Amino acid sequence: MSSPTSIADLQDDALVARLRALVAESLVPAAAISEVLQVLQSARGYIDDVALRAAAELTGLSPMKVEELCTFYSLVLREPTGRHVLRICDSIACHMAGAQNILNQARMHSGVALGAVSSSGQLTVIPHVCIGLCDRAPALLVDGEALGPVDHESLTQLLAQLEADIWKPS
Amino acid sequence: MEAVLSRNFSAPDPADLALYQSGGGYAGLRRAITMSPAEIIDEVEKSGLRGCGGAGFPTGLKWRLRGLDAPEPRYLVCNLDETEPGSIKDRALLFGAPHHIIEGMLIAAHALGVRYAVIFVRGEYAAGARVLEKALQRARAAGLLRLPDGELRLDIHISLGRYICGEDSAILNAIEGKRANPRKKPPHISQQGLWQQPTTVNNAESIAHLPGILAQGADWFRALGVNGGVGSKLYSVCGPARRPGVFELPMGTTAAEILFEHAGGLQEGRRLRGVLPGGSSTPFLLPEHFDTPMHFDAVAKVGSRLGTGGFILLDDQQCPVDFLVATTRFFARESCGFCTPCREGLPYVRWLLERIEAGTGALEDIETLRALGGQIAPNSFCALAPGALMPVLSGLHAFNDDFLAHVRLGHCPYQEGRS
Repeated sequence: MSSPTSIADLQDDALVARLRALVAESLVPAAAISEVLQVLQSARGYIDDVALRAAAELTGLSPMKVEELCTFYSLVLREPTGRHVLRICDSIACHMAGAQNILNQARMHSGVALGAVSSSGQLTVIPHVCIGLCDRAPALLVDGEALGPVDHESLTQLLAQLEADIWKPS
Repeated sequence: MEAVLSRNFSAPDPADLALYQSGGGYAGLRRAITMSPAEIIDEVEKSGLRGCGGAGFPTGLKWRLRGLDAPEPRYLVCNLDETEPGSIKDRALLFGAPHHIIEGMLIAAHALGVRYAVIFVRGEYAAGARVLEKALQRARAAGLLRLPDGELRLDIHISLGRYICGEDSAILNAIEGKRANPRKKPPHISQQGLWQQPTTVNNAESIAHLPGILAQGADWFRALGVNGGVGSKLYSVCGPARRPGVFELPMGTTAAEILFEHAGGLQEGRRLRGVLPGGSSTPFLLPEHFDTPMHFDAVAKVGSRLGTGGFILLDDQQCPVDFLVATTRFFARESCGFCTPCREGLPYVRWLLERIEAGTGALEDIETLRALGGQIAPNSFCALAPGALMPVLSGLHAFNDDFLAHVRLGHCPYQEGRS
């Protein structure tokens, strides 16, 4: 399955150099896989087949092993997302503080199913496990940055800023 | 009580090395490197420090059991994979006390004869990992990572997600680049852990206590506790409290004091019915036990667990069945899928709870839930499913009338009058 040109398929020499350095620094090549996937996802938006094969070749894991990791770990994306990813906590503290309303509002705004890309291409909404902001519930992660508490009004504002690409972490 | 772990929580830059040192930071490490590993382990054992990840196993004993002569290389992992709903203390440490964690890792590495150590941070805390990285760079630049036996390699591993990574053998699989399924024990990870070598895994709060214990001594640490507890503890409160948050208090502070003084009691017009005292995998602690000192042994005596010390409040406006739907949804989703009782059993428990909450449940469903508790927990591979069932089983007992009312009325009584 792994083709000899898979790393070159990334078509990004600086990225490849960075990935090779990560693997070289790792005690064992396979142990670099988490960081390799994080760097690839941040560069390409998600782990597409090219990234997956490159990650496998760089770390010496089989593409199937990397696929297993991608499907296991919840922060790895195997499908394209919108420019911004909202992960909305639905665990107990946020649940009691109205997480369902927040999730519904964001989903209605996106106009598509959870996990799908909104028609504007700007947004993907995903329910997520506890993000450790239980004292600021309901909370969410915007492109990995924690935000809470959120209410109908502040979420409306946030969604508008994400649509316009003008949101910045405080 | 003086702030020990939390002294720099509200500083503009908790990664500031000079700030940390001005408060006595790295004095514990300075003392530790003049001591032999056996002497450090003695000091930690005498301090009475117990694992703050939830299990409460004595830290010094854990180190001693690994053996001073364990084969090399040996490894050390700091578990900062806090994902348990209602537990927010390690996040506070990551953002507010990064040097406590680094100094603690250096002390532990010296005591355990470790040259390679990893701080495992959950991916959702990546912003906190950047604070830790900044502190680590400063410590490294100041030469603090040079231990008597050579420089410690201290890596920060940012996880790709999943609650199960916090289990002490699953975390090793995650670091090695595998799926984070728990491993079969024995062999214990202290004999065959990371890459099959002797490995010690300690929670971030346990690690963060080490600088104080080494700098000021075991007796000083013990004296921080009250009501039979030792040391200080990061408790946290979430739910409908007036002032939810993280509080560093003497270990052994009563539940009532934490809830009603430090967290300010409940919001106007609400009455507290019970709490999960240590994250969402602990049994309910009910008001008649709120005078319990919150340390491991006292909480166990009244049928619950100190766990992480993260209180989740259940008040009289929140349906307990709906509460348990939310806690169970988390565990059902986070089951690693390795063993059948957990993978199949937890979704079934969640479904039964959802049915009852929706008003379509029958009396038999309540009995089935009770029976499942006895079938899933003893037959599952790790502690995830037993933990998931603790609030459910204790909730079935404590809030039996609420369960019956759902079945009798055919709807959730807490939804009456709500749109």
